[in-house]
Amino acid sequence: MDMNYLELLKLASPEAIVVATALAVLAVGLTSKNAPVLCSTVGVLGLILAAAEVFMLPFNATLFHGMLVISPLASLFKVICLTLAFFTVILARSDRSSRHHGEYLALLLLATIGLMLLVGSEELLMIFIGLELTGLALYVMTAFDKTDIRSAEAGLKYFLFGSTASAFTLFGLSLVYGMCATTGLAAIAQKLVAQPLSPLLAAGIVMTLIGFAFKIAAAPFHLWAPDAYQGAPVSSAAFIASGSKVASFVVLGKIVLVGFGPAHGSAAWHAMVAGWMPVLAVLAALSIVLGNLVALAQSNVRRLLAYSAVAHAGYTLLGLVAGGREGFSATLFYTTVYAFTLVGAFGVVALVRRETGGDDFVNFSALWSRSPLLAGCMAIFMLSLAGLPPLAGFFGKFYLFSAAMRAGENHGLLWLVALALFGSLISLYYYLIILKVIFSEPALSEVERGHQNLEHPGQPRGRLREGGDFLQRTTVAVLAIAVLFFGILPGALLARIIAALP
Amino acid sequence: MSSALPWSILLLPLASAVVILLFTLRSGRVSSFTSVLAALAAFLCSWALFTSENTRAIELTWIDLRPLLYVPLGFVIDGLSKTMLLVVTGVGALIHVYSLGYMRNDAGKSRYFASLSLFMFSMVGIVLSNNFVMMFIFWELVGVSSYLLIGHWFERDAAAEAAKKAFLTNRIGDFGFMIGILMIWSATGSVVFREIAMQMPQIIAHPGFLTIAALLVFCGAAGKSAQFPLHVWLPDAMEGPTPISALIHAATMVAAGVYMLVRVGFLVQSSPAALGVIVWIGTITAVMAALIATQQSDIKRILAYSTLSQLGYMVMAVGLASGEAAMFHLFTHAFFKALLFLGAGAIIIMLHHEQNIWNMGGLAGKLRVTFLTFLVGTLALIGCPPFSGFWSKDAILALAYTRSMPIFVLGLFTAFLTAFYMTRLLVVVFLGKPRTDAARSGREAPIVMTVPLLLLAIPAFLAGFSFVATRFLPLPQEKEAVALVPVLATLAMIAGVTLGVVLYRNREREPLNIALLRKRFFFDEFYTWLIGVTQGTLARLSDFFDHWIIDAGAVRGLSSATWGIGALLRLFQVGNLQAYSFLFGLGIVGLIYFTIFR
Repeated sequence: MDMNYLELLKLASPEAIVVATALAVLAVGLTSKNAPVLCSTVGVLGLILAAAEVFMLPFNATLFHGMLVISPLASLFKVICLTLAFFTVILARSDRSSRHHGEYLALLLLATIGLMLLVGSEELLMIFIGLELTGLALYVMTAFDKTDIRSAEAGLKYFLFGSTASAFTLFGLSLVYGMCATTGLAAIAQKLVAQPLSPLLAAGIVMTLIGFAFKIAAAPFHLWAPDAYQGAPVSSAAFIASGSKVASFVVLGKIVLVGFGPAHGSAAWHAMVAGWMPVLAVLAALSIVLGNLVALAQSNVRRLLAYSAVAHAGYTLLGLVAGGREGFSATLFYTTVYAFTLVGAFGVVALVRRETGGDDFVNFSALWSRSPLLAGCMAIFMLSLAGLPPLAGFFGKFYLFSAAMRAGENHGLLWLVALALFGSLISLYYYLIILKVIFSEPALSEVERGHQNLEHPGQPRGRLREGGDFLQRTTVAVLAIAVLFFGILPGALLARIIAALP
Repeated sequence: MSSALPWSILLLPLASAVVILLFTLRSGRVSSFTSVLAALAAFLCSWALFTSENTRAIELTWIDLRPLLYVPLGFVIDGLSKTMLLVVTGVGALIHVYSLGYMRNDAGKSRYFASLSLFMFSMVGIVLSNNFVMMFIFWELVGVSSYLLIGHWFERDAAAEAAKKAFLTNRIGDFGFMIGILMIWSATGSVVFREIAMQMPQIIAHPGFLTIAALLVFCGAAGKSAQFPLHVWLPDAMEGPTPISALIHAATMVAAGVYMLVRVGFLVQSSPAALGVIVWIGTITAVMAALIATQQSDIKRILAYSTLSQLGYMVMAVGLASGEAAMFHLFTHAFFKALLFLGAGAIIIMLHHEQNIWNMGGLAGKLRVTFLTFLVGTLALIGCPPFSGFWSKDAILALAYTRSMPIFVLGLFTAFLTAFYMTRLLVVVFLGKPRTDAARSGREAPIVMTVPLLLLAIPAFLAGFSFVATRFLPLPQEKEAVALVPVLATLAMIAGVTLGVVLYRNREREPLNIALLRKRFFFDEFYTWLIGVTQGTLARLSDFFDHWIIDAGAVRGLSSATWGIGALLRLFQVGNLQAYSFLFGLGIVGLIYFTIFR
C-alpha cells in the first residue's frame, strides 16, 4: 500500500490539532503568570478548531486497513467528544486544584485524542491503543487533586482495575487474532461467518468485552466507579462519566455489531444461544439491578450518580443486545444524551462544592433558595435521568426500550425491557430524594456549614460569585436547555445518528 | 381558521404558565389573573370548537424516523374529545375563578397558578392526543403538575409525603402502561390510535398477547383513576388545596384513566378476558371505597372515597364494554363532584381550615348558598331522580343487570352505601346544633366562591336529562329497557337516606365504630409493612455491600492527610482491594463459564 504521510496528516488533522493544543497548553501553563485563564482559553480554542477541522475532512476514507477510518459516524462522534471536552474544560476552571492547570488541561486533551482514535478506528490494535491512551490520561486526572487523599485512592483503584481490564482485553484480542489471523473488524467478521463458536473464540470474545464493560462501568466491573466519581476532581469525574463513556459505547458497538457480528447468539428468554448478546444481556441485567438498588442507599450526590451511572450503562446496553441499526442508534442516542446530562449535573455539583465545600446531600439542601438557576437545572438533569417526559432521557429510554422490544422473535427481550422499566421506576425514587433536598429542606445554618468545613480540612469555602462562575452557570444552563431541546425534538440528533450509521 | 382552535386550547394554558414562571412570579395578583384569563379563553375556544363542525387540526410531524418510528404531533377531534374538552376547560375555568377566593392570601399564589395552568395544558393534551406517545407524555406531565399541586404546601410534611406517594403510585401504573404501549407498538408498528385500530384484526388473532397488552394499558388507567389496588394515593392527595381536590382529584385528572380506556376502547373491548378483570376491579373499588367512606370523619376524605367509588362505577362500565355509559357518568360526575368539593372548600375556609365533620354542625342557616348547592350535589351523587347522577348511574346499573347479576347486586349495594354516607355527611355538617365555636361563627363565602358553586349546580341538576345530555355525548342505548332497575336503585337510595337520617340525626359523636372501615381496610398499613420489608431487605443488602467493599476505603481515606500513605499502603493489605479484585475475577470467570458451558 502506498504510504503517503502528507495524506495521513491531512486525514488525522483534527487529532493533530488537539495534540498541538495539548502541547501549547502545557507550554503556556509553564511560562505564563496568569496561567489558568490563558490555558483554558487556548484549550477551548484548540477544541473548537479541531471540531471545525472534522467538518473539513472528506466524507469517507480508510487508511491502513481500517486503523484510521473517516466515516459519518466517526466524524459525528468526534465532534460530540470534542464538545464534551469543551464543556469539561470550562467546568475545570471551578476546580481548586488549579495550581497545575496547564498540566491538567493537557491531560484532558490527551484523553480526548484517545477518544477520537477510539471512535475513528476499525482495527483492534488501534482501538486498544486508544483505550490505553484515554485510560492513562484519566487515571492521572483522577488522582490529580493532591490535597485530597480520596483523589489519590480513587486514582489508584481506577488504575489497578483499568490495567487488569486492559490485560484481559489484550488477552482476548490476541485469542481473537489467533483464531482469525487479522485485526481488522470487517475481516474478522468474514472469518467468523465460516467458524462455529469454539470455546476458545468464546473466551476471546468475552475477555475482549471486559475492557469495555470496565470502561462503561457495567456490573460487576463497576467497582472503581463510586470511588472515582466521588474522589476525583469534579471535572475529571464529569469527563469519565461522559466522554469516555460515549466513545466506549461507540467502539463497543462497532466491535460487537461489525467485528463479532456473526457470533451474536441470542439473549431471548428461554432461547438463549451462546454468543456476545447473552453476555451483554447478563451485564445489562446485573447493572440495572445492582446500580439502582445500591443507589437507593447513598447520601452523597456524586456517589449516587456513580451507581445510577451503573444502572444507565445497563439500559444503554439494551440497544446493543437488540442489535441492528435501530438498536445501535438507540444506544448511541441514549449515551450521548446521558453524557450531556451528566456533564451538566457535575457542573452543578462543582458549583455547589465550591460554595459549600462538599457534595453530600446536606450541601444541596435548600439550593433552591440560594440559586434558583442551579436548582432548576439540576431538576431538569435529574428528571431527565429518571426518564420523565418531555426531557431527553424519556425519549432516549422510550426509543431504547422499543428497539429492544422489537428485536428478535416473540418479544424475546421482554424480560430485559421489563427489568429496565422496573429499574427506572426505582430510580425515580432516589432522584426525587435529591430534588426534595434541593427544594424543600431548610438551609443549613452558618454554624452547621462551618462545621461541615471542619470535616473537610483544606477546603476553603469559596464565595458565591467569583471569576469564572458566570461562565460555568451559563454552561450548566445551556446543557439544561439542550436536555430539554433533545427531549422535545429528539429527531434533531437521532436522525443524524441514524443517517451516519452504515 | 378553526383548524387552529385545538392548538390555541392547548397552548393558552402553557403560555400562561410560561409567562408566570418567567415574568410575574413576584406578583401573585398579576399571575392569578393571567392564569384565570387563559383558562376562560381556553373554555371559550373549546365551546367554539364544540359548536363547529370541524374535525381536523393541523398535524405536525414530531419524530419521523420511518420506517422505524413515526410520531405525529396530531389531535383527534371527535365528539368524545370535544365533550371532554368542554368538561375539562369548563370545570377548570370555574375552579380557576374559585381559586381567586380560596388562595387569596397564600404566599405561593404565583406558584399555585403556574402549576394550575401547567395542569390544564397537560390535561388538554391528554384529551387531544391522537397517539400513545403524545398521550403518555401528557400523562406524565399531568402527574408532575399534580405532584406540584398536592405538595403546594410542601412545608407541611403530610403534604410533601402525599405528593410523593401520589407520584410514585402513579408511576407503578405507568410502568405497566409503558410496557403495554411498547407491546402494541411492536405488534402493529404504529403508535397512532387510528392506525392501530385498523390493524386490530392481526392482534385479535393472538388473544393471549392482546389480553396482556390490554391489561397493561389498563394498569396505567388504574394508577391515574385510583383503582384498587393502586387507590391509596387519592385520599392522601386531599392534603392539597381544596380547589385542587375538586379539579384534579374529582373532575378531571382521575377521569383521565377512564377517558383513555374509552379512547382505546377498540383495544380493550376486543379482549373478553381483559374486560372481565376490568369490570371486577371497578366493582371492588366501588364497594370498598363506599364502605370506607361511611366511617371517615374528614369531610374531604369522605368525598375522596366517594370519588373512588364513583370512578369504580365508570371502570365497571368500561368493563361492561360500554364506553358510552362510562363517559356519561364521567360527564355528570365531573359537575356534581366538583360542586361538592368546592362546597366543602367554602365550609373549610369559612371555618378556618376545620375539616372534621364532628366539629361542624348547624351550618345550613349560616352558609345558605353553600348548603343549597351542596344539597343539589348530594342529590345528584346519590342518584335521586331526576338529578343528573340518577340517569348516569341508572345507565350503568341497567347494563350490569343485563350482563351479570353479581355485579348488579354489588352496584346496587354501592348505591345504597352512597346514599347512606352522603346523608350522614349532610346531616352532621349542616343540621343539628353547632358543635364548636368555629361552627357558630361561620359566615357565607365571598362571591368569587359562591358564583362557581351556583354555576356548577345547574349542570349538576340538568346534565342527566337525555335532551341535555344527547347534545354533548352519545348515550348508551339500552336494548331492552328494564323498568325494574330504576325502581330498585331508587329504593336502595331511599333506604340509604332513611338509615342515615335515623342514625345520625342530633348526634354529638359517631354512633358506629367499625375499626376495619375507619382504618380503610388497613391498606396503608399493609403497604407500609410491605415497603418496610422490601426496603429492609434492600437496605441490608446494600449495607452489606457498603461494609464489605466500599465503606472501608472511603471512610479510612477521609480521616486526614497524614494518614495518607498509611491508608494507601493498607489498601494493598486489607480486604478492600482484594475484595474488589476477587469480584472482578469472579465476574470474568462467571461470564466465560456462562458463555461456554451453558
